[in-house]
Amino acid sequence: MLAYVLRRLAYGVVVVFGVLGLLFVLFFAVTDPDDIARQSLGERVPPDVIEAWKADHGYDRPLWPWQDWDDNQLFAHYSAMLRFDFGRRDSDDTKISDRLLDGMGPSLSLTVPLFVLGLVIGIPLALVVAFFRETYIDRLGVLLCVLAMSVSILLYIVGAQYLIAKLLRWFPISGFDPDPSVIVRFLALPILVGVVAGFGGEVRFYRTIFVEEGSRDYVRTARAKGAGEPRIMRAHVLRNAWIPILTQVVLSIPFLFTGSLLLESFFGIPGLGSLTVDAIRGNDFSTLRTMVYIGALLFVLGQILTDLCYALVDPRVRLE
Amino acid sequence: MRRSMRSEPTLRHRLVAVGCLALASASCGNNPYPDSEGSKKVLYTSFVDAPRSLDPAVAYTTSAHAITGNVYDTLLEYHYLKRPFELIPGLAKSIPEPEAIAGGRVRYRFDLRPDLVFAEDESFGLGGEGRRTRAIESQDFAFQLMRIADPAVNSPVYEPFSSIEGFGGFRERLGALRAEEEGFAGLPIREQYQRAGGVAGIRTPDVSRLEVILAEPYPQLLYWFAMPFTTPVPFEAVEYWNGEGDRERFADHPVGSGPYVVASYDKEAKIVLEANPNWYGVQHPEWKAPGATYPSEGEAGDAEAGRLDPQTVGQPLPFLERVEFIRERESIPRFNKFLQGYYDASGIAKESFDSVVLEDRISPEMAARGIELAKTVRPAVYYIGFNMDDPVVGASATASGRGLRQAMSLAIDSREYARLFQNGRGVPAEGPLPPGLFGYDADYQNPYRHVDLERARLLLVEAGYRGGVDPATGEPLRLTFDTSDTSPQGRLRFQWFVNQWRKLGIDVEIDATNYNQFQEKVRNGAYQIFMWGWVADYPDPENFLFLLTTPMARSVSGGPNTANFQNAEFDALFEAMETADNGPERAATIAAMRELLERERPWIELFHPEDYTLFHDWLKNVKPAGISNPTMKYRDIDAGRRGEQREAWNEPVLWPAGVLAVLFVAALVPGVRTYFRERQ
Repeated sequence: MLAYVLRRLAYGVVVVFGVLGLLFVLFFAVTDPDDIARQSLGERVPPDVIEAWKADHGYDRPLWPWQDWDDNQLFAHYSAMLRFDFGRRDSDDTKISDRLLDGMGPSLSLTVPLFVLGLVIGIPLALVVAFFRETYIDRLGVLLCVLAMSVSILLYIVGAQYLIAKLLRWFPISGFDPDPSVIVRFLALPILVGVVAGFGGEVRFYRTIFVEEGSRDYVRTARAKGAGEPRIMRAHVLRNAWIPILTQVVLSIPFLFTGSLLLESFFGIPGLGSLTVDAIRGNDFSTLRTMVYIGALLFVLGQILTDLCYALVDPRVRLE
Repeated sequence: MRRSMRSEPTLRHRLVAVGCLALASASCGNNPYPDSEGSKKVLYTSFVDAPRSLDPAVAYTTSAHAITGNVYDTLLEYHYLKRPFELIPGLAKSIPEPEAIAGGRVRYRFDLRPDLVFAEDESFGLGGEGRRTRAIESQDFAFQLMRIADPAVNSPVYEPFSSIEGFGGFRERLGALRAEEEGFAGLPIREQYQRAGGVAGIRTPDVSRLEVILAEPYPQLLYWFAMPFTTPVPFEAVEYWNGEGDRERFADHPVGSGPYVVASYDKEAKIVLEANPNWYGVQHPEWKAPGATYPSEGEAGDAEAGRLDPQTVGQPLPFLERVEFIRERESIPRFNKFLQGYYDASGIAKESFDSVVLEDRISPEMAARGIELAKTVRPAVYYIGFNMDDPVVGASATASGRGLRQAMSLAIDSREYARLFQNGRGVPAEGPLPPGLFGYDADYQNPYRHVDLERARLLLVEAGYRGGVDPATGEPLRLTFDTSDTSPQGRLRFQWFVNQWRKLGIDVEIDATNYNQFQEKVRNGAYQIFMWGWVADYPDPENFLFLLTTPMARSVSGGPNTANFQNAEFDALFEAMETADNGPERAATIAAMRELLERERPWIELFHPEDYTLFHDWLKNVKPAGISNPTMKYRDIDAGRRGEQREAWNEPVLWPAGVLAVLFVAALVPGVRTYFRERQ
């Protein structure tokens, strides 16, 4: 197993290197250090201030190794990321590591309930729909799932803010307060939107697994032995469906830390999703590369964890 | 035993149900603020982009000045209501008069008010344990001016202060010492400035007098003393808040002397200002200082707009206990929260503009909710420029080029442009000067800034381009419109200009490149037509008209005169106007310059941008300035009315929750029935 993990880690290093390189190439294909400086300093600053800013932030060096092998931005970019030296934000010179720590709490306070509720509601609902397969409940369920998947999350957000916060006035339209006594008031609506927006895809995915599992021989045998349908679903189908569920679940866990871009931005939650949105809007390369780097690392970690969980859940799976 | 076992889960269920109900009731309602805040004089407003820096030597954006303008007090400031803008004393006792001294130099003497103290801050502990504040001295102003000269601070406003005697020399000496002397850069900042010899033109003969000596006259310098750049800064704060360890950077930890202090600074979520008990207006209301008392006079319309309420006039400032700036990245939630009464003032979301403003006035629906509209023309101008060095559209083409520029100017309808692309927000520009500035003439009509295609065609004939045809090729005259705006919206805007000129038969091609490539073209003089804007730092005609002087020409000095307009007569008029006092003579000079520009047409003046601000009727004394000015201290809130309106507008509608529950149960019943039927 150790050899397997090491091999996956080696693959992961290649993936992360590739992602970092691709980000660098794509970013500087559409923008340049002058744009980064102007976004940070404003349009009205004189050219010498822009030059000084670039020198201060290392953007005055050549971009590529073939321009200057010893001192170029691409190598500096890799070097900084590999040392986990995230540096300061281009937009305001604050420490990125501080901002990551500050933003993780608000992000997790949104994504963890969203994730748990998604599972708690999605899996039983999928079981119910699968239980009633080929009845009107199943067909209606699938139709609703497809409809829910077809709608952009942006529409859910704007619609919910208009209907639930503006017309019905149940929750604030946006805002955040980490105080435990009021946090529910601010998180209720984004969580509701996130659950509803994700519900279609999740229920449909789990339903497919359950239906597929329900048609296997061992389930037919259990039925032939007289086992009740609820027991079959719970004790046989659900237990054997854990592997694909785990794939979905474990892969999602690392991304709880990176937050939700649109939900945080529209609901005013100062998490890591908002940080990423700001970085994209503000040409903030140092923040963006940090978020992409962390995302890539978490993705690789999630994949390795998923494989390990396979082995734990299913004794037939051996990691070699 | 069994009974008790059964009753236990029931009790737990009940407790859970009660908990859920409590949670639901606690969380139900759309008020994002604590209920206890309702009766307080707290102004709630929003911001989109976080300020990069609150260092007053560096902060140069609107979002940053919204904070620094209220936290850092200045020697002078602008009258809150009067237009054209008028300087009034702030921390200075009076506005200094320029004194001519030997060598063509000019001296300004600022006498400070007595008993000025900084807001409390732990950095003052550097001066003695337990110290939380100290008196403001003239050295604190000198220190801040030297910070502007400091190359390490990287202040964007070094240039305007470079006319101070010895300013550039100090900058060079400081830079050289840091580069050459080991350990110098590690010395306390005040010691570094002392070792660099200070600035000869900045003198502090005693703790309450600051003298500024200019190497040459620059009367506009006084305006810079009404901006946060020149606020007094305690050296202790700069040294203490150095970003090392757990300490914040000075850029994120302002220590000022203004009417407000930053009580909490989370630029990702919320910035809170609270009234500063150390402010001179609070400490000495008996002085009735102009910057600490609500004004008794303004411009026409202020009284009708309720800005000269007898109960407010002459009252000591500030009125608000606290100001909360809440970060809202998206316009739709921001605007909806304003409509719910949770923001006291707002801009207008693009998507909602037509429902809010009808025929340039607030819509009846909004007016019925007590929402008011304030319009402010920014001291700015947007224009299309011609490169006067170009052989076709420029000065070397003499009468032909002039006629072409005049004809092209006559084809552009600024009002239509503003209607199409600015929601009508913008005053059509007749000349470079915007309303509210000395020299602006509301009655002036530029004969080349009103659409007249017939006259334009005649001018083209005179210029040698009959029907827009270039006689050299026999094809429509081909020109290039250079821009750094590559967005689809930008393309639409530039295409509109092209379409207008096509009516004259001229074929203009849009050449959109990225900013750097555009700058490269500008550097090389390889451009013909461009669109640009200028936002003034201070409300003086000099800050606009200098844009067209020869020394500022891009091809001469790399300056902001991108049109490369070089006209000896204009330069002479500018020189006479630059240092003149506002009066009939200066007005006549400005009119002569305007006429020259009218004829030569280096620019097609488009519009002066207008800001539309919405505010609820419980927010009092709103008069947007359009320039950096501490406005919060003048504003007031009728918290009682706000509370009533919020309550009336935001009563939760709960019946749909019941309907949803019934629908949910109804949807489940057939399924449950099927389940039991199958089991049987």
